[in-house]
Amino acid sequence: MADIDIQNLCKYYRVHQKEPGLAGSIRSFVARRYKDVKAVDDVSFTIARGEVVGFLGPNGAGKTTTLKVLSGLLFPTAGEARVLGFLPHKRGTDFLRQITLVMGQKQQLLWDLPAIETFLVNQAIYEIPATAYRQTLAELNELLDLGPLLKKQVRKLSLGERMKCELAAALLHRPRVLFLDEPTIGLDVTMQTKMRQFIAEYNRRHGATIVLTSHYMADVTALCKRVIIIDHGRLLYDGNLETLAQRLAPYKIVSIVARAPLTRDQLLRYGDVQEVDTFRAQMRVPRGHSSEVIARLLQEIAVDDVTVEEPPIEDIISEIFLAGGVSS
Amino acid sequence: MRYLKLIQIFYKNCLLVDLEYRANFLINSVMSVFWASFAILGIKILFLQRDHIGDWSYYEVLLVIGLFQLFTGVMEGVLRPNVTQIVEQIRLGTMDFLLTKPVSSQFLASMRYVRVWHLVDVAVGVGICGYALYRLQVQVSVWQALLFLLLLCSATVLLYSLWLLMVTTAFWFVRIDNITHLFSAIFDAGRFPVTIYPGWVQGVLLFVIPVGFITTVPAAAALGRLSLGYAVLSFVMAAVMFVASYFFWRFAVRHYSSASS
Repeated sequence: MADIDIQNLCKYYRVHQKEPGLAGSIRSFVARRYKDVKAVDDVSFTIARGEVVGFLGPNGAGKTTTLKVLSGLLFPTAGEARVLGFLPHKRGTDFLRQITLVMGQKQQLLWDLPAIETFLVNQAIYEIPATAYRQTLAELNELLDLGPLLKKQVRKLSLGERMKCELAAALLHRPRVLFLDEPTIGLDVTMQTKMRQFIAEYNRRHGATIVLTSHYMADVTALCKRVIIIDHGRLLYDGNLETLAQRLAPYKIVSIVARAPLTRDQLLRYGDVQEVDTFRAQMRVPRGHSSEVIARLLQEIAVDDVTVEEPPIEDIISEIFLAGGVSS
Repeated sequence: MRYLKLIQIFYKNCLLVDLEYRANFLINSVMSVFWASFAILGIKILFLQRDHIGDWSYYEVLLVIGLFQLFTGVMEGVLRPNVTQIVEQIRLGTMDFLLTKPVSSQFLASMRYVRVWHLVDVAVGVGICGYALYRLQVQVSVWQALLFLLLLCSATVLLYSLWLLMVTTAFWFVRIDNITHLFSAIFDAGRFPVTIYPGWVQGVLLFVIPVGFITTVPAAAALGRLSLGYAVLSFVMAAVMFVASYFFWRFAVRHYSSASS
């Protein structure tokens, strides 16, 4: 049975509209006009036990709203969401005990106290027996290297250290379903990598179902075989990550810094030139041929520096958005 | 059981934090004594002119002032810190964490914080009450003492429910400073026995914003001049308000759409 099952889910918000300027403010103070915003609009998907699914979309696409519906914070306007067989919005104790919500931009740790105090609060809230608590904490300690962090006041921790403690606090009760909303936001690259490794390892050890949203392509490529892309509340793509990248971004981005000034014509035979700025240039090179193209380029042009990158997730997604979805 | 354990942990947390700010203890003690003295001075001046206000003598009024100080301590120490936090959590969206915990969100939100040093007010209030009762030389029967204590409990429940009803509106308005200031101003009326006010004000202070049940009614019980009707009404009032605050909270949570990230 699927751990998460969403059928024709809709969530609309009523927001009041304000016209610009003081006159507009006064008008909206007296008589507010409302408009329905379709944050999630007729979305359906299922996620099996133990799956790690990446949830992608630009800001305001409806990712967070979907996660909030799944974790019971929001009532669906229409359609149905089931998690572990429960209706999340009922917020039943048995349901809440088995899930967890981590939000990269919000924290649950007590600001003025060491993280361990929050852990003890959560131990009491989830009624975790002492032995299980010690065991879980030891394991999280091993995976996240919490050691000295636990006894420091949270406000004295760096963002990365705090995020580690946030994750640990959210996992003490060994949830079966994890909702991670931009868990790596604001972290430096090393810390992002550590977080990914931890999430992957946690999934491997405990077979937990994980739904993850992120703006970072690397988070998603490192963790998820499957991605779900939404924009303006509508589902645009649901499927394998590799086919998505190959189909929609069948190229890599090659940037060069040359010793002599470059011209657009000179580069056309290597790939689709995006930008030329005297010594610098950027072009799109077909995915399968990037290494041979670069080899040729290095032979033919005196180059100081070459970088090969995956196209940014925003680009891939915006291409999907331009196409208005992916025919599967 | 679990809730008692949680309160114990929460209050320990808060004590740990408050112990870091020793100066606050001093400031709160000074402030508490200052305000109590100020209130006592006020009625001293009144009683220079006459020996009764309404049908309350000096020490009887002092008892009401003591209770007012006590409940001010409860309000500032136990209720207001949570209100401040609830407003913050709604504004920042961290209320999400409370709502995804398998414990009553109302409990988590409203009992989470305590400002330990404000309990000085409670101590000062108890002191004033004790002194007033001692000077009055009232013979308190066991039954009266019990009723007094029960009325104190119901007053606490009532005060809690009023605050919760008020703070729950933050789910819609987000900023509710004005409402809490208004309430504090009205609560100030409880400094004196409600019977000294004109009839319609009494009505308001008993049945619209039932401040009278918090200070005057328990004081009257201790003095043995409370009719049973008012005692029963006091419990009914507390129960009704508590139930109302519970359902209003649930209603608000249902409509909560947290600040988007």
